Amino acid sequence: MRLRSTLTSVLMFLAPFAVLLGLWAVLVPYFQVNPRLFPHLGAVVDAGIEAGRDGTLLAHVGASLLRVMVGTALALLLAIPLGVAMGVSPALSTFLTPLFRFFSVLAGIAWIPIATLWFGYGFGAITFVIFNAVFFIVTYNTLLGVATIPKPLRNAAASLGAGRWSMLTEVLLPGALPNIVTGIRTGLGFAWRGLIAAEMIATNVGLGYMLFVARDFYRTEVIVLGMIVIGVLWLLIDRLLLAPLERATIERWGMVQRA
Amino acid sequence: MTLLLKAWGAYVRVSSRWPAIASIVPFIPVVALWWAVTALEIFPRVFLPGPAEVARTFADLVYKGILPEYLADSVVRLTVGAAWGIALGIPLGILIGLSKTAHRVLWPLLLFFQAIGDIAWLPILVIWFGYGLTTMTLVIVYTVIFPIVLNTVLGVRSIPINMHRAALSLGASRPRMLWEVVLPGALPNIITGLRNGLGYGWRALIAAEIIVGTSGIGFLMFDARRAGSVVEILLGMVILGMLWYIVDSWILAPVERATGERWGLVTR
Repeated sequence: MRLRSTLTSVLMFLAPFAVLLGLWAVLVPYFQVNPRLFPHLGAVVDAGIEAGRDGTLLAHVGASLLRVMVGTALALLLAIPLGVAMGVSPALSTFLTPLFRFFSVLAGIAWIPIATLWFGYGFGAITFVIFNAVFFIVTYNTLLGVATIPKPLRNAAASLGAGRWSMLTEVLLPGALPNIVTGIRTGLGFAWRGLIAAEMIATNVGLGYMLFVARDFYRTEVIVLGMIVIGVLWLLIDRLLLAPLERATIERWGMVQRA
Repeated sequence: MTLLLKAWGAYVRVSSRWPAIASIVPFIPVVALWWAVTALEIFPRVFLPGPAEVARTFADLVYKGILPEYLADSVVRLTVGAAWGIALGIPLGILIGLSKTAHRVLWPLLLFFQAIGDIAWLPILVIWFGYGLTTMTLVIVYTVIFPIVLNTVLGVRSIPINMHRAALSLGASRPRMLWEVVLPGALPNIITGLRNGLGYGWRALIAAEIIVGTSGIGFLMFDARRAGSVVEILLGMVILGMLWYIVDSWILAPVERATGERWGLVTR
């Protein structure tokens, strides 16, 4: 019974896409749209099969995902400890908040020109842009999360004899976790956009590059294929990884904030 | 130590009276550090110029009239795009929020097209409309509209059903329902959506100007990159950050707070 209801909801979710694809398949040939302006559905499918077979699609996707993972991992490794350290002291955190707001406003795309100058075109510059997008937003959110843990909770833990370490692992980190996860989700959203933009400018492999090169040759079927791949990938990352993670942490630890 | 504490106390007192000070003072040590690093020449000057040089370039570009013009271009593009986004996004959001059928049909499409992301549209938009204002405006509209629609839907759906019933039983007509129940009820969410949307739109504008631009702050930065002039890139970054900081924390955030206070009860 439960399986059937999930199945129906999946079908309901997919139905509008089927309609859209149907319209595409019918309307584009009917109006004889110039394939240099908008491709036929068949052409996109062919482009997908071809790119899948000769491995270029896999190379582009792999390069993009690798950059995102390296940049994000580095950023998290630095941002969370830094955010906790700054959030512990209320005075320090109110003092530093404007700074981090400023830099999280700048995060991502605005760093592309200078990143390409500092690191040259390639892996370094793009990873730096992603690192940047994630780092400032996660640090800011961690700081905010730690700073909003009610003082009585920390006092209670301290008076029960919690040392520095158990204070960190049992009060500060769990209390800030919902904020941290929200920060990761927002940061990755910006990072993903930054990635596509940076790849258009500064590299020779990756999804953004694939789109931009196809534009030079008016190969709209490759552009549309790339857009679909970008959309599906982000939907998978966001809905299957980030959204459940956020929901789970908020259900598990979210109470602390409202206490 | 006591002197430090006293100074800190004075700072806290002053900044609680004039909150603007609290958002400026923290930047002083950063600029000082920046100045110190460049003065010691830890990195080559070409890669990291100092604050004084950036300020000089700022004065220079303002004097030549380039900077005001580029800035105006960027702001106009963002405003036009945002206006279209609002004009299309709020009605669409209300429709999806109120009608079950519309929700069923449009919601999945909305999620997917949001996931494609503004910047991925740039190449094909350039093919369709060339390098110019239309392309940039479309990218911004595309970016701004999704957060507004998604948040409006959230807002409309969070209005308790009893509010609808009460208004109906008191004889409200459909337009009045929309104007006096649905819109005010959803307003706090709409404003939040607008704030997020503008944040994304601002970044999309920079990317669009970098990639297809012929003027604007993003173009200034990328043009400078081509010429290898780090000073202008840094200047562009500082201006971008300051401008958005001012718009966001002095205009959008207070508006959001005010609507939340005035109409926010409904959502709770």
